[in-house]
Amino acid sequence: MTLLELEGVRKSYEDEDVLRGVSFAMDRQDVEVIVGPSGSGKSTLLRCVNRLTEIDDGAIYLDGEEIHGIDENDLRRRVGMVFQDFNLFAHRTARGNVTLGLTAVLGLSKPEAVERADDYLDRVGLADQADSYPAELSGGQKQRVGIARALAMDPELILFDEPTSALDPELIGEVLGVMRDLAEGGTTMLCVTHEMGFARSAASTLTFLDDGRVVERGPPEQLFENPREDRTRSFLGQLTDLER
Amino acid sequence: MGLALTGTAALGVCDWAATTGNPPLQTGDWAFVVGNWEVLLLGTLVTVLLTATSLALGFLAGFPAGTVEVYGTGRLRDAVSTAGVLLRGTPVVVLIVLFFFGLPIPRLLTLPVLDVRLDVFLAATLALGFRSAAYQSQVFRGAIQSIDEGQLAAARSVGMTQRQAIRHVVFPQAVRRSIPGFQNEFTIVLKDTSVAFAIGLAELLTRAENLYLQPGRDTAIMEVILAISAIYFVLTFTTNRTIDYLGDAYAIPGGDE
Amino acid sequence: MTDGETATPGSDPTETRGTTVGDLPGRRRLAVLAAGTVFWTWLLARWAYHNSLLDGLFTALGFPDLIRSERGVRQREGWIPAEPFGAAADAVGTVAAALGPAGVLVDWLRWVLDLAAFATTTAPALASGAFVTVYLTVLSMLFGLVIAVPLAVARVYGGRALRAVSLAYTELIRGTPLLAQLFFLYFGLPLASIAEDVGFTGQPPIPRAAAAVAIVGFTINSSAYQSEYIRSALQSVDPGQLTAARAVGLSKFQGIRYVVLPQGLRFAIPGWTNEFVYLIKYSSLAAFITVPDLFRQARNIGSETFQFTNIYVVVALFYLALVLTTAIAMGRLEDRVAIPGVGQSGPRE
Repeated sequence: MTLLELEGVRKSYEDEDVLRGVSFAMDRQDVEVIVGPSGSGKSTLLRCVNRLTEIDDGAIYLDGEEIHGIDENDLRRRVGMVFQDFNLFAHRTARGNVTLGLTAVLGLSKPEAVERADDYLDRVGLADQADSYPAELSGGQKQRVGIARALAMDPELILFDEPTSALDPELIGEVLGVMRDLAEGGTTMLCVTHEMGFARSAASTLTFLDDGRVVERGPPEQLFENPREDRTRSFLGQLTDLER
Repeated sequence: MGLALTGTAALGVCDWAATTGNPPLQTGDWAFVVGNWEVLLLGTLVTVLLTATSLALGFLAGFPAGTVEVYGTGRLRDAVSTAGVLLRGTPVVVLIVLFFFGLPIPRLLTLPVLDVRLDVFLAATLALGFRSAAYQSQVFRGAIQSIDEGQLAAARSVGMTQRQAIRHVVFPQAVRRSIPGFQNEFTIVLKDTSVAFAIGLAELLTRAENLYLQPGRDTAIMEVILAISAIYFVLTFTTNRTIDYLGDAYAIPGGDE
Repeated sequence: MTDGETATPGSDPTETRGTTVGDLPGRRRLAVLAAGTVFWTWLLARWAYHNSLLDGLFTALGFPDLIRSERGVRQREGWIPAEPFGAAADAVGTVAAALGPAGVLVDWLRWVLDLAAFATTTAPALASGAFVTVYLTVLSMLFGLVIAVPLAVARVYGGRALRAVSLAYTELIRGTPLLAQLFFLYFGLPLASIAEDVGFTGQPPIPRAAAAVAIVGFTINSSAYQSEYIRSALQSVDPGQLTAARAVGLSKFQGIRYVVLPQGLRFAIPGWTNEFVYLIKYSSLAAFITVPDLFRQARNIGSETFQFTNIYVVVALFYLALVLTTAIAMGRLEDRVAIPGVGQSGPRE
């Protein structure tokens, strides 16, 4: 059952066309991974989905409803986001980062919010760091708080914008571990990432985006083993070489 | 001063306005302001002059003081930083009256045309100047400290002495970086020259008061004050823009990082 | 004056009135702390001793003579007698005379003792002036903050028109001298007589009309400066913070209210301290619109005793005590509300 559908999405900044008609659809519980060279419009695409960026043309449907017909705060409540550089609220503890949306947006009472926050922090393995401030956490811990913050809102879809790119190599594993658990647990995820291992093992669909267009899209095995396009082959080949 | 004032007041074109007891902001009162443009011009000159001398003194004393605070040691550094705290912790009006009454400045001549007593001007310059030095030293200190230590290490590594390295590598960068702080200091000093009112120095604000204190002129208070405020504003605004421009013109790419 | 973004809050001196009082060398800082404690104990006791509300209270309780609010400012007596200092000064003077030319070396001691004797006799009047200075400053800072926060938010997040209005207000206020602003309000506008008509008759705790005008003037003036500090602090909050707040579903207003302001206001504390210190000092200009503050009391004593230098040295010490204790107290406040990673200089994530 289709949860998210993009139809000919276009976006340009000044003279630069960042997205030149992107269309695809994903179902509930899908894990869609988008890969592509830097500047290919991946991050912009994600931001269009929760309207942090407005599209110029085309349409985006969430559960059959065009997102520009949805109140933007409501849309963002339904679509969570995890950022490359975490963007944790610097003045709030790990717990406070999770509870803010619960109290201010969902209208939960403070005890309810705290209970739920602690539950989600426990899920990402940070129950013992609930009272720490972002500056006291490692990068991997920060990103796990970021994931808990998005998860706790009980969104229909979570967007991951290169969630491991700002991490030291030894910290990437803990974040990918949490993401794998989510994928297996049936969370609908739309991820931009360079982690080919994760893409290969966890993605239900892999999309190769280049120059603002979908070049190739299909099951990860197909794109890695038997890509139809040369560009896909050379791009994925490069990345996989790097991993070895 | 009395002579100069009555002289110009006689030129006032709106004596009728005062006698009829006009409410504020009547054209007559503006005409009074316009008619006394010479008085305001002289006041502006004194204000600008006092700003210039005070800033110059502030720079001459403040630059070495800031350097001492960074590179100095022991008693000298303690003395400089304590003097700075004392000057920055005392209201400018107290400093001005203290310098005026406390320093044994002999009664000097009165400058012609400007109609300013030199000893009063000197006291105001010393007070505003040393206070500005205390602030400028902090601007320079901050600028020097903001220069990456690697710069000094690099200079030493090509064989410069500490002194040479500071002189040729640190200072040129620090001076550029202190432009915004200096600009800020300029604005403060310009506005604070008005406090020399406390010792009767015939700068812009004092002259303005003398204008509306003339008999029958109290209706023009608002107009006179608005006029001099506009003058102060134009002075701060235009000078700031000029310094902005200079800062851009002499900027080094990446030099602010 | 430029709108450039700043990396570290408070490091943007273009928008400020200058650097803080600064740090005293280690041991002197302790000395200031000790002297400051003594000073404030004495000052609070002085204020209490002549406070009419307390007088009423204690009179009702059966101690009519404990508090002396009925005594006029000039009739108040010091608690420390001046005679010993005077006597010591005379003694030193005799020694100095005996030493002949070398007497110059001890002469400064005589001056210090004379000054101390003078200070003890003038202290009660200065204490009452200090009370006016403190309430002018504190009230104006608080009222100013109430205006400054929306001004700064309008400047950073407002639409074109709001930004322009906020910019014009701050530039006009910061581009003209405070003394001219006070004159405008007091002599130019009939504010004082309006205040009197409304009922500012000077009955405590309502200040006299002139003081009310001074508070209006200082509030307007400090709101412009405070808003500059807050604006630059808001701009130093990472834009990703607001993006993240919006991504969770908070409205822009909520994002500013719950995420940007709590961080920005912490960044603004050093600047706010600066402004507080500045206002303590600049409140002395209220003397020129007849407000009986610390400086005006000093000026009055000066013109009665003709000891201008001495009284201005003493009043300078009063201001220094107020300013330095405020700076230390605000430093404590900053430590208290500090959150790891927020508001400290140094790398932030």
